[in-house]
Amino acid sequence: MAALATFFWGWLLGALLLGFCMGWIAVVHRAQGVSKVWMRWLALLAAALVAASLTKVVPGRFGYWLDLFLMMFALYLFGCAIGSWLRDWVVSRSKPAS
Amino acid sequence: MHGLFKWSSKWWPGVIPLVILWGLAAWSSTAKVEGDLAVRANAALKDTVLDKRRISVDGRDVTFAANAFSEGGRSSAVTSVEAVSGVRLVNDETRLVAEAKPYVWSAERDVVRVTLGGNSPLPSSKGKLMEAAKASLGGVEVVDQMGLARGAPPRFDAAALLLLDQIGKLKDGKITLTGTQVNLAGMARDLGGREAIAAALKNLPEGYSVAANDIEAPPYVFQAYKDPVAVTLTLTGYVPDNNVHAALVAAAGRKFFSEKVVDNLKASVGAPSGFAAAVVPALGALSRLSTGTLVVSDREVKLSGDALYDAAAGQIRGGLGKDFPQGWQYKAEISVKPASAPVDPTVCQQLFSEILSKGKIRFESGKSEIVADSAGLLDRLIETAMRCPSATIEIAGHTDSDGDEAANQTLSEKRAQAVMDDLVRAGLPPDRFIPVGYGSTQPIAGNDTEDGKAQNRRIEFVVK
Repeated sequence: MAALATFFWGWLLGALLLGFCMGWIAVVHRAQGVSKVWMRWLALLAAALVAASLTKVVPGRFGYWLDLFLMMFALYLFGCAIGSWLRDWVVSRSKPAS
Repeated sequence: MHGLFKWSSKWWPGVIPLVILWGLAAWSSTAKVEGDLAVRANAALKDTVLDKRRISVDGRDVTFAANAFSEGGRSSAVTSVEAVSGVRLVNDETRLVAEAKPYVWSAERDVVRVTLGGNSPLPSSKGKLMEAAKASLGGVEVVDQMGLARGAPPRFDAAALLLLDQIGKLKDGKITLTGTQVNLAGMARDLGGREAIAAALKNLPEGYSVAANDIEAPPYVFQAYKDPVAVTLTLTGYVPDNNVHAALVAAAGRKFFSEKVVDNLKASVGAPSGFAAAVVPALGALSRLSTGTLVVSDREVKLSGDALYDAAAGQIRGGLGKDFPQGWQYKAEISVKPASAPVDPTVCQQLFSEILSKGKIRFESGKSEIVADSAGLLDRLIETAMRCPSATIEIAGHTDSDGDEAANQTLSEKRAQAVMDDLVRAGLPPDRFIPVGYGSTQPIAGNDTEDGKAQNRRIEFVVK
């Protein structure tokens, strides 16, 4: 994993930045959110994919692509979290001033 | 934290570009990752001895196939590949190299090449054997048909290298190592090669032994060719040592009074016993021929050529074999040279003088027995006498001045008589010859030097 991270830091950084931007927007975005039921299903799907990755049941190139996706997705989520949290912090600080 | 959960429901639109990004990453990186892992996996196995190693990478999964030479080597190779960072799974398709029983290795030499076959325990020993074969065989083509197998006896390399050295001493043949047993068959390249191989086999590593040594030695050949046109006697082939060499050349010089001796002999071991005792009389027989070839091969003597007259042919055919040591064979193919045209007595005298100026009839010291070395010279004199049938010939014996005059007189008469007896035995009528002894009364040189005395001791043919 560490070897891959050094090898593909560019793509991973891209996923992180993408997540950061999405998180930044998400705080003030007015679009419809995903329902709780969907969230559960998606979380279940993510857990299943992680389990498949850890148990290495997916062979060859598909296995590699799965690992790559999960890494990028994890960094995306991390970026989202940071972005949202920062945006929320910025918004809450500017409110008393206005 | 509640906020984070609320916002996360709105993070989904970013997944679409993320999937695109992932697709691009997968498309551009897969081949690179596979290439990088293959290079590093091969590098990790750099110092591991394996046969038929094959590494293929699919994503981050490495399929590793190889033949290992020990269980320890096999498992450590797999561990090395598993330890390469970035490798997700190793599909282990390694096996142990097959074990050979019995363990056979061979080296075979024919006219143009040497073929190494059978089994070798490791690629390194295989390479070592090939290199040693090329080095010791010079320009001969070396073909590698060796396979790899486990189960070689201890000290296999040392034994095989020693045997490879021996293949260089063979003209053709095969050396086989079966377990620790050595079998040899074929023909040695040089005389003495068989003995050299037998001696070298004593240095086989401990535990190895010779099961069968059927190496044959090439025939021990000696040849002599008397060429009447070039007036040479050419000696080729082998003699046992330098002493015999010198003795044979000296004997040839005495027997071939007018021919130049061309000496191309080489000394070599492996001569049959009684070599010199057989070759010297055979050279004497050759000296009696007008043209001829003597071939001595091991214990077989072949003499072919043209005798100067009928009786000589008969004597050569029948007489020589008796002089040979036990176990020697003699084959003579003697024909008779066509008789030369008759000449008148004056020419005959010239021919006698010419022959006797090149060589002298020799006798045992102080006796009247003609030595065997003079047989060739006598045959030439007889042949010349046959060319002038009408001439009467005086055979004149002379001595030096040493000793009692009366004894010298008697000796010279006896020697002249002995020469005449020889001419008569050859079929010439006795009434054509007058044996006369002059003692020391007609010297042709001073009797005060050894050289002068030697010149005075002589037989002359005087046509009357």
